[in-house]
Parts: sequence; structure tokens; C-alpha cells
Amino acid sequence: MIPHRFDYVAPDSLAGCIEALNTAAPAGGDGEDARVLAGGTWVLPEMSRAESRPARLVDLRRAGLGGVTGTGSGLSVGAMCTYAELLASPDVLRHAPLLHTMAEGITGGWALRSQATVGGSAVSARPQSDVPGALVACGAVARAVGPEGERRFPVAELFAAAMHSSLLPGEVLTGFDVPSTAGAGSGYVKLKRGGSSWPIATAAALVRLGDEGVCRQVSLVLGAVTATPLRVDVDAALVGTTPGDDGVREAAHLAGAAVDEPWDDLLAPGSYRAAVAAPIARRALTMALVAARTTIQETRA
Amino acid sequence: MTSTLPRRSVGQRVKRHDGDAHLTGQAVYTGDVTVPGTTHAALVRSPHAHATIESIDTTAALAHPGVLAVVTGAEIAAVTDEIPHGLDAGHLGGHHAVVRPLAVGKVVHVGEPVAAVVALTPADAAAAALLVEVGYDLLPVVLDPDAALAEDAPLLYPEWGDNVIIAREVGPDDFDEVATSAAHVLDGELRGHRGNAAPMETRTYLADWDSRRRHLTVWATTQNPHVMRTVLASTLRLPEGSIRVIALKIGGSFGLKMYGNREDFIAPVLSRLVGRPVKWVEERSAALLPAARDQRLAYRVAFDDDGRLRALDVHAVSDHGAGAATHGWGMAHVGALATGLGYALDHCHVRYTVVATNKAPWVGTKPFGKESATLLLERIMDRIAVTTGLDPAEVRRRNFLAPDAFPHTHTSGLELDSGDYAAALDLTLELLDHPAARAMQSAARAEGRCVGIGLGFELMPESADIPGALVAAFDTSTVRMSPSGQVTVLTGVTSPGTGNDTAIAQLVADELGVAMSEITVVQGDTDLCPYGFGNISSRSIITGGNAAVLAARDLVATLHTTARAMLSAGPEEAIVLGDGMAQVAGDPERALPVPAVAGAVHTLSYLLGLDIEPRLESTRTYRPANVRQVPDELGRMNTYTTYPYAVHASLLEVDPETGSVTLLRHVVTHDCGTVVNPMFVDGQVTGGVAMGIGAALGEELVFDADGVPASTGFKTYLLPRAIDLPRVELGHLCTPAPGTPLGAKGVGEAGFSGALAAVVNAVNDAIAPLGAALEATPVSPPRVLAALLEAGQ
Ligand SMILES: Cc1cc2nc3c(=O)[nH]c(=O)nc-3n(C[C@H](O)[C@H](O)[C@H](O)COP(=O)(O)OP(=O)(O)OC[C@H]3O[C@@H](n4cnc5c(N)ncnc54)[C@H](O)[C@@H]3O)c2cc1C
Repeated sequence: MIPHRFDYVAPDSLAGCIEALNTAAPAGGDGEDARVLAGGTWVLPEMSRAESRPARLVDLRRAGLGGVTGTGSGLSVGAMCTYAELLASPDVLRHAPLLHTMAEGITGGWALRSQATVGGSAVSARPQSDVPGALVACGAVARAVGPEGERRFPVAELFAAAMHSSLLPGEVLTGFDVPSTAGAGSGYVKLKRGGSSWPIATAAALVRLGDEGVCRQVSLVLGAVTATPLRVDVDAALVGTTPGDDGVREAAHLAGAAVDEPWDDLLAPGSYRAAVAAPIARRALTMALVAARTTIQETRA
Repeated sequence: MTSTLPRRSVGQRVKRHDGDAHLTGQAVYTGDVTVPGTTHAALVRSPHAHATIESIDTTAALAHPGVLAVVTGAEIAAVTDEIPHGLDAGHLGGHHAVVRPLAVGKVVHVGEPVAAVVALTPADAAAAALLVEVGYDLLPVVLDPDAALAEDAPLLYPEWGDNVIIAREVGPDDFDEVATSAAHVLDGELRGHRGNAAPMETRTYLADWDSRRRHLTVWATTQNPHVMRTVLASTLRLPEGSIRVIALKIGGSFGLKMYGNREDFIAPVLSRLVGRPVKWVEERSAALLPAARDQRLAYRVAFDDDGRLRALDVHAVSDHGAGAATHGWGMAHVGALATGLGYALDHCHVRYTVVATNKAPWVGTKPFGKESATLLLERIMDRIAVTTGLDPAEVRRRNFLAPDAFPHTHTSGLELDSGDYAAALDLTLELLDHPAARAMQSAARAEGRCVGIGLGFELMPESADIPGALVAAFDTSTVRMSPSGQVTVLTGVTSPGTGNDTAIAQLVADELGVAMSEITVVQGDTDLCPYGFGNISSRSIITGGNAAVLAARDLVATLHTTARAMLSAGPEEAIVLGDGMAQVAGDPERALPVPAVAGAVHTLSYLLGLDIEPRLESTRTYRPANVRQVPDELGRMNTYTTYPYAVHASLLEVDPETGSVTLLRHVVTHDCGTVVNPMFVDGQVTGGVAMGIGAALGEELVFDADGVPASTGFKTYLLPRAIDLPRVELGHLCTPAPGTPLGAKGVGEAGFSGALAAVVNAVNDAIAPLGAALEATPVSPPRVLAALLEAGQ
């Protein structure tokens, strides 16, 4: 139940959405600004609790921003793509299995997975969430369209601060280009306090090995540990080596040391997040290494 | 044609009679009810933990579309009396708190209702509530007992002179004398934390004041409709007969919906003032305000080399929150009564101090303070094991009361009726395969893994009777059979969702020898049911069930007499009822359907020359014989009827890098005497285990430094989910309650306390090799890791 009166529109084009976002709502409502409505799993509860009182909701559902498709070089993920769509897509499994693993661990059951969108999670920019860290690890590029036209930028720049995206007023996030990580091994580890908890710490790892098992490329991103996703440079520990336990431990140590301003909330204090960063990173890297070795064996076979 | 023996449904896994309605969404809850002209209320709640109310400006709210009225606490106070207490600390040497439906003059916790809006829609009511402007003058807050007990502490109720709701002692104060001759004395402190009942359904009401009849009908999520009517009448200054309270299906309660809460009064008062039906549904964040379990126990324990307890001395300090008219503070008292219960302990002294702080008040919550007592004794047992080098199971075995020790009067006065605690321990260890579990633990430890095994013995005094309070160990049921043989059971006990109505139908079906489908159980309606005390203290089967059995037996006598006349049975021939037939024992040819006999009672009494009152209706009250409220020479009473118990074992693994706890197995052996329906008992124990595990690992009400609650929903108050829980492996013993018709003991609070203790003990067992220990709950990952890091330094 939403206590205040507001205008609701669902334009059937992106241009219509942008226009609706950038023109004043008709009088009669008692809210403040126009706000984008995607799956509504975050917006509507906030409005019910009167924490947000938009004068107008602009529903993106008819603007054609849904789904995920394979491109020659990776994926195009629409802002309105749901977790369920990520899970159902063979292209995601092929080009960005990390996103598949991430979506598998989303709570809320199928009702939530079929309703909540990747774009909604990203724009919310909540530290305690899965999508931001996973997208950064994949090296995704965000696309946003506003009255001034389209912008493209590395997704890491979307996460300006806790709960704040870098979208400009009146802008709509339209989707992401995700380069293919086929051939790399991916690992995703999420630490929670139990089934109902928000993520307390996530680690997303991608490892690409050369023919002799030598590490060519590694990418490690911690989520939920700091206000915005934290990319950790662990090249020194792993690239050019045949990674063993020591290398992985050293990389994990770098990850733990990189957390200097941990996120703190009532589910877990910052000291806890800082303390678990290294073990979570180690587990994700180990998972990614195992996957990378399996990939090589499969391609050889 | 029929068997000669009546078929028994008692003891069978009979499905609940209303299961289909629940599964298909047809069951009617309070929130489903509307009447023509229903309006909706929303509350204006205090954002401050402690403040005086300087002004309330309702102008803007009144101007909002659809608003019918905006009512302040002072306006309500002018036309009502204060809320009667369920258990008045003021009568027992403590302080009396004056509680009214809405705050008057000052607020003492965040979320305290200050004003109410009534509007045509819930949305308009909520929107207008945001427009009520309340001017506050902030007062300093006290958020924990230390601050509240300090010399110059700000006072919640200046007229009290301090912040102590009540302080009392239970048991002889003789620790020092006994301890001198004991081999060991340990002291310690155990810190509990603030938790909540968290039922699925929040409190919901629809009150309909009919000004022509001067009559109030209230549909309410209450465990005690009759008592709610009694106290509503008092506060609303109405005769009890002018009020009808109806409790429909309830979506869980666990004590939250026991009478005495100010929430019960809001919709009725508003309806009376506005003259329209008023519905009020509590917000989830508000349902997470009431609390329990927030206690700190400082203790000293004396024991001998053989692990046997000699004496225990406890000081419990409860962070109660604000004053309330509920029984909430009584949890500290019951915790004191239950401390040491079930163990052979001749010297047990508990002092408790219930402290008022600027948080929402305690509300009676399953298992009503007994969990603190359980956790304390079970931690002590494990500490004794460490000190003496004995196995924890052996320490318990040596200390348990023996099966031939009953009746046994504990130092607190509670009189244990029966039980075989060691047998329950043995069965639990057998189900766990204790040697195998220990072997697995050793193997895991050798690999650097932290596996722990923990035990928890719980003993729950149930079916309470509080002298002078509307909490009784007895209750009343009516059984009525119509001319077509249909049976109606009207009972004073209610079901909070547990299904005791099905169990009562089973009992009556067995007595009358008819099918369950012939029986309707009516509960929760003060116009239909006998006056009763509803659902509290695991009493419904013991009181309402036994009363229904007694009433049904009266009908059986009439059916026997009538059938005897109809079947021309001789005085030496017995009549048996079963499978819907009344027949002469051993002679299946001479039989009549029960409805034919029932019809005859109603239509043929003269023709058959029946020498009895031709009535197939009886109202009986079952009052257990073992409650004793005339104090003994030591001033002690036995205020409880039955003493069910359980022994739990938890096997779990702690991740030493993250502090995460993975439950591997949870085994419980439970004894609640005669089991009417094993499915319901299994359900209660399993649900209780889930709640206890939730309390152990995650559920915690957290506040910021200003007393603002941070746990406002189920993403911040972490209930366990199915994936967090192991399958609960159950064993059962049956020690029937002596001297009762059924032999049943309460099961409504089973599972919680022992699970809490077993998990806390198992976590400690798991981390002990790393030199770490946790004497505070919850044993959440951040706390476990902090303990490990501290030990590692
Ligand atoms: C029961 C439950 C379980 C959950 N479990 C998890 C979990 O396990 N892990 C996790 O990380 N998260 C979890 N979440 C959070 C969930 O992922 C987010 O609520 C969801 O992704 C938000 O997407 P939405 O489409 O519903 O967004 P909305 O609620 O519609 O919008 C969210 C915000 O983003 C803005 N917005 C949305 N789309 C756009 C766009 N395209 N352009 C500009 N602005 C936009 C909206 O204006 C709003 O501010 C859970 C949520 C619920 C309710």
C-alpha cells in the first residue's frame, strides 16, 4: 500500500520514457520527482514505507530494454533483463558463466528472480548486493540514454557511492555490453549470514590460463565489502606463474590488504568484512583456477 | 457389520480438519474480514526514544482527502481508563506502569503510538499520519540496564524514583554456606540478546461499534478472546456483555497476541469515537518492536569432583524496555522458577531485576523466559565437564533427577510430576550415534576443521495458573450432539495456528465413537464459546482437551442409556460406541447408528421411558489437581500443571575463516506424555527447534545509539530459512502426566530452549580447540569470528 498519490506512465518507447522523466508530472500528486520503475522490487517497498515519494513513476516495461542476447564478442544485457532471463540464457553460460552463477545465488525465490532486474540492482548501487561486483569483474560497459543522447562508460563508474549511481538526472540506464570471457575460468563466492541475509561479502574471479597452465590474465573484484565494488590488482601474485596454493594465498592476502574502508552495517561490522575478504577471495580464485584448468582440458580433449 | 472395538484416532497422524482451507487460501484470517462502511486506521509513532510531547498539530492531516478523524493519546485518555495489567508488578512489590492505548504526555520508546488517523482507505490514513506534526522535547535516553541503574540515570517514570520495574528473589539464599564444602566454584556471566516472536501475521483488528445497540464487535488476532473482552470492557468503560470478540484463524502468535497489549485497544477505541467500523493492521516494523530474552545472567556454581551440582546462585538483569500492561516481565520470574529444574539441586537461588529502558517493552514470548534458564544450566553442565574432565553427557546424567524422584519439589516451589530425563538423553545419543559423531569430530579436527557437538536439556513448566490473574490452569468445553448426530464442540481454548482444534475433535470423536467429519470445533467467539482463557502456556489440549473429554463422556452416558433402551439390552450388557455405531458389546447384530440414538434422545425420550434428562449437551471444566497456590512453609507455590522435557544434540561445523556455522544434524528426544496427534507434536517440536536455532544464530533486535530500532524487517531481523536448517531428527518418549484423564503434557513451547542451548554449546565445542569461547548470544558469524580472532592474538 503506497500512501501518496502519484502519476504512473508506461511509455512504449525509450524516447517516451525519457520524455516522461524530464517533464513535470501533472498536478494532483503530492510527491517530489519522477522516478524510473523497473521490476519495482526495490522502488515499491520504499514507496510503501513512504521513504520515497515520487510525483511520477515511469515504468520501463514497454520500452524494449529486456532480455539478454549474444553478440559476436559477448553479451548485450538489457537493463530490464531479469535474473530469471540470465539463468535461462545459453549465451550467458557460454560468454559470462559468472553472471549465471551469480544469478543462481539470488534469494527471494522465482517470484523475485522473475521480477527483479539487473539494471534495477545496478542503479540502486547498494553495497550489499551481487550484481555490481559481478558486472565489474566481467568488465561490462554500461549504456545510458538521457535527453542529451547516449553515454557509454565502464560499469565501475556507475557505482559512485553507496546507494548512489552516477546516472545523471533524467537518464535511463539501457543496458550493458559484456565482453565474452569464454575460455577463462570463473569463480563466484558469496558469504551471507544465512538464507535470508543480504550478501556480506562477495568475490568474483576470472582466470585465463595459457597452454602450459601459466596464468595470462586474472581479475578479482570484491563486492559488499566496501561501499562500491573493489577491484584488486593481483597480477603480481599470479600472472606469469603456474598458480599454486601459495600464489593464490598471496593474491588473497593482497585482496584483504586492499580493504581499507570496509562497509559497515547491522548485519556485519566493517571489521568482519575486512577479515573475511581474504578467505573469500582465495576461495573464488581457487574456483576460477579449477574452472580454467577444466576449460583447457576440455578444449584439448 | 462393525468391529466391536471403537477405532481410536488418538495417537494417529490425523490430518488437520481445515488443512485444505489453509492450503488453498480459503482460510479466513482477521485481515480478510470487512463489514460495510469499514474505515482504516494508521498510527503516528514516536521517532524518539524518550521525549515529552509538547504539541500535536492535526490540521494538515485533517485536511487530507478521505480523513475522518485524527485522535491523540490525550483525547483517548479522556474517555477511557488505563489498560488493566495481565500481571501487575505494582502488586508484587515493584512499580505499576500506567499504560494507555496511545502515549499521553511523553514517549518512552521509538515507535510508541502518539496519535491515530482514521480514513476511508489505508493509503489515505497512512498519508495523513505523515502530516500530523508532533512537537517533542527530547529527554536523555537509557538503552541498557547499566545506564538505567546508574546513580543519576534519567528516569522513564520519574514518580517511580528509579528504573526498576521489579526485583525479587526465588529460592533459599544459601550459596556461600554450601559452597565452602564443594570441590569447585566457578563464576561467569551469560549474555542473552533481544529477540521477537516474529509471527507471519502481524496484529490485526476490525472493531465495529454499533451506536444504536451500544455494542462493540471486535475481530482480533488474539490468543485470549474472552479475556480481551474483559479488559476491553474495563478500559472502554462498557459492560462486558456489550462486547463480542471474535478470533478467527491466526497466522502464528508465540505469545505476541496474548492479552494486555495496548495494540488490542486501538481499533476498538477509535471505532467507538468515530462511530464507524475501524480496521487496523500492524506494520511489520511495529510487529518487530515487542521483545523478549534480553537478559544478563551473572552466576556462581558449586560442584563436586564427580560433577554433581551442589549450589547455584544467579543474578538475572533483564533489559525489559518500557513499562507495559502485559505479562512480559513475568518471563524473568518464570526464568527464575525454572532455573535448575530437572537437576538434583538442593540449593538454587535466583535474584532477578527487571529494568526499564527506552526500548519497546517485553511481551510474553515463547518459551517465556525458560530459555534463559535452560541456556544457563546447559552452559554450566559443559563448564563442569571441562573442569572435571567428564563427558558432558555424563555430567548431565549424574545430575538428572531419577525417574523415581517424582513428585519432586524444586527449590523454587515448582513440583515436577514425572519424567525420565536420562532415558531421553540416552535415546538422543543413540539417534545421533554419539561415538560415531565423536569419531567424525576427531577426524575433522585432525584436518584443522572445527566440528562441534552440543547437548541441551530443556524442561518446560506448562499450563500455568497465576493467582489473581486471568491466566488459569483450567478451561471449559461444551460438547453438543444434534438430532442427526452432528457434534459441535465449543471451547474456551483457541488455536494460534497449531491445530489443537483438530486434536480436540480427535479426542471427542474417540469418546463418542463417531467419525472426525461429524465434528465441528468452534473456538474464539465470546458469544458462542464458554468463558475461557484461550491459548497460552501450552495449555489447550490439557485444559480444553481434557474438558471436552469430560463433557463428551457425559454424552456417552446418555447415549448408552438411550441405546440400551432402544436395543433392549440387559443391565449386564455393555454398550460400546465406535465406527459411528452404538452396539451391544460382543453382539454386532444388535447395533444402531449413533445418529439414530441421538435422534431418539431428542424425540423418543417419553416413548423409551428414559429416566434421565434428555440432553445431549454438556459443559465441563477441567481443573488439574496438582496446582498449589497456598504457599508452603517457605512461601513457595506450584503454579504449573505439566512438565514436558526434551534432550537435544546438535552437530555442526564452524568455518574458522568466516565464523559461519553450518548445522549438520539436530536430534531431539521429546516427552510430552500422551500424544494425541504425532504430526502436531512433531510440528511443534520442529518449529520450536527452528525458532531456537534462529535465536542462537541470527535473530537479533539491534538499535542505534539513540534507541532507534535498526531491525525493521526480515532482511535485518534474520529468521532461519529452510536451507539453513538440518532435518530435525525426532525421538519420542511417553511418560503420561499422572492423575490426568489424558496423560498429555504441553508441547507448545517445546524445542526452542534445548535447541538454543545445544547450538551454543556445539559452537563452543567447535571453537574450544582454538582457545575461543562465547558466553553471549547470538553466536552469529561476526561474533564467532571475533572470538576466534581474539583467541588467536
Ligand atoms: C526478496 C528479495 C530478495 C533479494 N535478494 C537479493 C540477493 O540475493 N542479492 C542481491 O544482490 N539482491 C537481492 N535483492 C535485491 C534485488 O536484486 C533488487 O531489488 C532488484 O534487482 C532491483 O531491481 P528492480 O528491477 O526491481 O528495480 P526497481 O525497484 O524497479 O528499481 C530500483 C532502483 O533503480 C532505479 N532504476 C531501475 N532501473 C533503472 C533504469 N533502467 N534506469 C534508471 N534507473 C533505474 C529505480 O528508479 C530505483 O531507484 C533482493 C530483493 C528482494 C525484494
